[in-house]
Amino acid sequence: MSDEPFDKEEFVAYFRDEAEELLQQIDGDLLRLEEFVDSGQADPEIVNSLFRALHTIKGSSGMLGFTEVQGLAHKLENLCDLLRKERMPLSEGSVEFLFSGRDFLTDLVQAAIGQSAPPSGLNEFTGRLDQFVAIYNETSNVIEGKAPDRGEGGSPAGSEPMNEAEIAAFEAEIERMLAEAAATATPAAPVVPAESAPAPAAAKPAPARGNGESADAKKGAAQGKRSSLAQTIRVDIDRLDALLNLVGELVINRTRISDIATTLGRLMGDRALNASIGLIGPLSKDLADSAALLARTTNEIQESIMKVRMVPIGQVFDRFPRTVRDVAKARGKEVQLQISGADTDLDKTIVDEVGEPLMHLLRNCVDHGIEAPDERERQGKPRMGTIALNAYHEGNQIIIEISDDGGGINLDKVRAKAIKNGLIGTEDRLTDRELIELIFTPGFSTAEEVSDVSGRGVGMDVVKRNITKLKGIFDVDSAPGQGTRFTIKLPLTLAIIQALLVRVVDELYAIPLDSVIESQRVEMPDVRTVHGSEVITLRGQVVPLLRIADFFELGGERDPEKVMIVIVGLQGRQVGLVVDSFEGEQEIVIKPLSDVVGRIPGISGATILGNGSISLIIDVHSLVSDAYAGGKVTRAEFSGV
Amino acid sequence: MMAEQREEKKQQYSGETFQVVSFRLGGEEYGVDISQVQEIIRMVEITHVPRAPRFMEGVINLRGQLIPIIDLRTRFGMNRADHTKSTRIIVTDIGSKRVGIVVDSVSEVLNIPVENVEDAPEMVAGIGTEYIQGVGKVDTRLIILLDLSKVITSEEKQALDSVDEAAE
Repeated sequence: MSDEPFDKEEFVAYFRDEAEELLQQIDGDLLRLEEFVDSGQADPEIVNSLFRALHTIKGSSGMLGFTEVQGLAHKLENLCDLLRKERMPLSEGSVEFLFSGRDFLTDLVQAAIGQSAPPSGLNEFTGRLDQFVAIYNETSNVIEGKAPDRGEGGSPAGSEPMNEAEIAAFEAEIERMLAEAAATATPAAPVVPAESAPAPAAAKPAPARGNGESADAKKGAAQGKRSSLAQTIRVDIDRLDALLNLVGELVINRTRISDIATTLGRLMGDRALNASIGLIGPLSKDLADSAALLARTTNEIQESIMKVRMVPIGQVFDRFPRTVRDVAKARGKEVQLQISGADTDLDKTIVDEVGEPLMHLLRNCVDHGIEAPDERERQGKPRMGTIALNAYHEGNQIIIEISDDGGGINLDKVRAKAIKNGLIGTEDRLTDRELIELIFTPGFSTAEEVSDVSGRGVGMDVVKRNITKLKGIFDVDSAPGQGTRFTIKLPLTLAIIQALLVRVVDELYAIPLDSVIESQRVEMPDVRTVHGSEVITLRGQVVPLLRIADFFELGGERDPEKVMIVIVGLQGRQVGLVVDSFEGEQEIVIKPLSDVVGRIPGISGATILGNGSISLIIDVHSLVSDAYAGGKVTRAEFSGV
Repeated sequence: MMAEQREEKKQQYSGETFQVVSFRLGGEEYGVDISQVQEIIRMVEITHVPRAPRFMEGVINLRGQLIPIIDLRTRFGMNRADHTKSTRIIVTDIGSKRVGIVVDSVSEVLNIPVENVEDAPEMVAGIGTEYIQGVGKVDTRLIILLDLSKVITSEEKQALDSVDEAAE
């Protein structure tokens, strides 16, 4: 690597980040451009912004030799140039055409950096693109022969100027062809014909980061974004991780030094020790003071470094207006997406992971939640449905809410479907809450027909699983006829957690404290069996037991008199993990196990303790669901997993 | 074809010699390219990882870094041996992966001239030949030259396979 003239990989990584950002910006610009379709006149500021973004992509892809990306960016740039010089009218067709171009460009960038196969249908698209640019160039040249004030520069083509009627007819013809091309060349979502009403989806652009929400500041948003960019630097996440690792070490040693100081202080207090104490006494006090100071500073460093890793969740939200727009168009619905709290910060790793589940929920809202415009009108609601996406901090958590003003979850349908699928019997009486819980069952979907948007039956269970993986909580509220609200609560960071240390056979394991409800010592006679599985009764509730030593195949002898139990909560149910002894609580730094080790069920990572030894971190969720799948916990007690 | 591959391998090494760290494993002598060796440490406490593949001894704490440890004997289908005073962990750096391998003892650094290296015999008892680069002759000794990246790549595959099995 070092003997190469320059590190291409680094440039490619930089290109990828930059392109992602720019493509996102293009998306936003196009969405805003779409609002001007009615007036037929584009805001020159937006068109210029589009032009600049395409131009940057063209430049950097050229530098890295990604000629296909460069080529398409160049062609789209030409198209924008026509808009900019007002040689092409702004219409739904032309915006749609730009949208497809942007999608092709995204695919090409992905392909260029080796993340996916090159998109199909590209040649056809670029062919049409060339054709239109050529036609418009020619037209405007002709027009300019008569009205040179409409364009800037460009020599008249010397042919006979056309009369107004001819020009109008020509433009109408081109408009028709444009719409046709856009309809056939769009790679992703199907597009409604151009003659239908312009979809007002996603009317509001996401507010600029850090600027709060100023709905009218279309230009201000762009400028605010630029100035905030000037004060940030791009740092490789690996470097931050390395820093965080070091801070982790510091935290561990801080704990250790505090321990030593405490122990020493206790020994000092023991009068039985010999006379030389008089000399060490002040030193011991100094150590204690110093340890306290170290602890404080370390905490501050740790907090600061966590803050560095924080990014505004708006990074994820940015791509949603486009998704909502596309899905709404495809389903013939009118939907507006209102975003607030885009500047709420949370850990980069969580931001990266939370995008997919949120996207899925939004698609669900549009597809299942919001009713068709006519249906809404019949119910006395505005034709346009509203989806609100909101994020805010609450204590040590971030809350993300997605709510719609659609029809709500149809409980009768859920019930009928559950009976059909054999999930519940016809006689079972379930509360509304329990019925809603059913939609998290794998393979459950009430959509009457399978669509490409949602309703494939993989969905809500996957969303829930992903949120749970992030140590988050997922909740649904629904009122018939009034709408549905999804609430997601996520921890601000995943890197440092409070954990309960337990000993099992010879090893120490750490159980994340957020899933621990309580720990108890239970006498053996109080442990009963149900269908061969051990259970205890805790405040009237039957709690199944899971012996960690058995699950991890550690061997070891069972205590015939008592069991030490850590009660963990999982999706509202409780499971008792049987360990050998409790070893106290500690703040631990999560380190992933090397991918060479592979994924181990029941283990989410490891941590290094103050004395340098390693403790594995128990992944409560996968432990319990794996034990359940393996028949180690009976279904009767644990139907929740 | 083998000869061509060997030509390529030879070109990877600077000059005319293979520079290898040699170690013993069950009565045989092995060598790994010195550029893949990060450091050699004495046996430390290994934290067992439950339900990991059999050859995965566990993880160690190397100055604050978690390093997975592979028992090369198990990996090569030999009997597991008790750790002795001479047991060592060779910490290797392959690509971005840092892995420790447990060996019976580490001998020395050897320079083996290219002309003294032969292709691996088609079948070597107990070991698949994909990670054997060749056999080096030093006086009367035979040094089996290992490509550690191959040992670890196929390692991973096995690890993944066993996880899949566990999931089923």
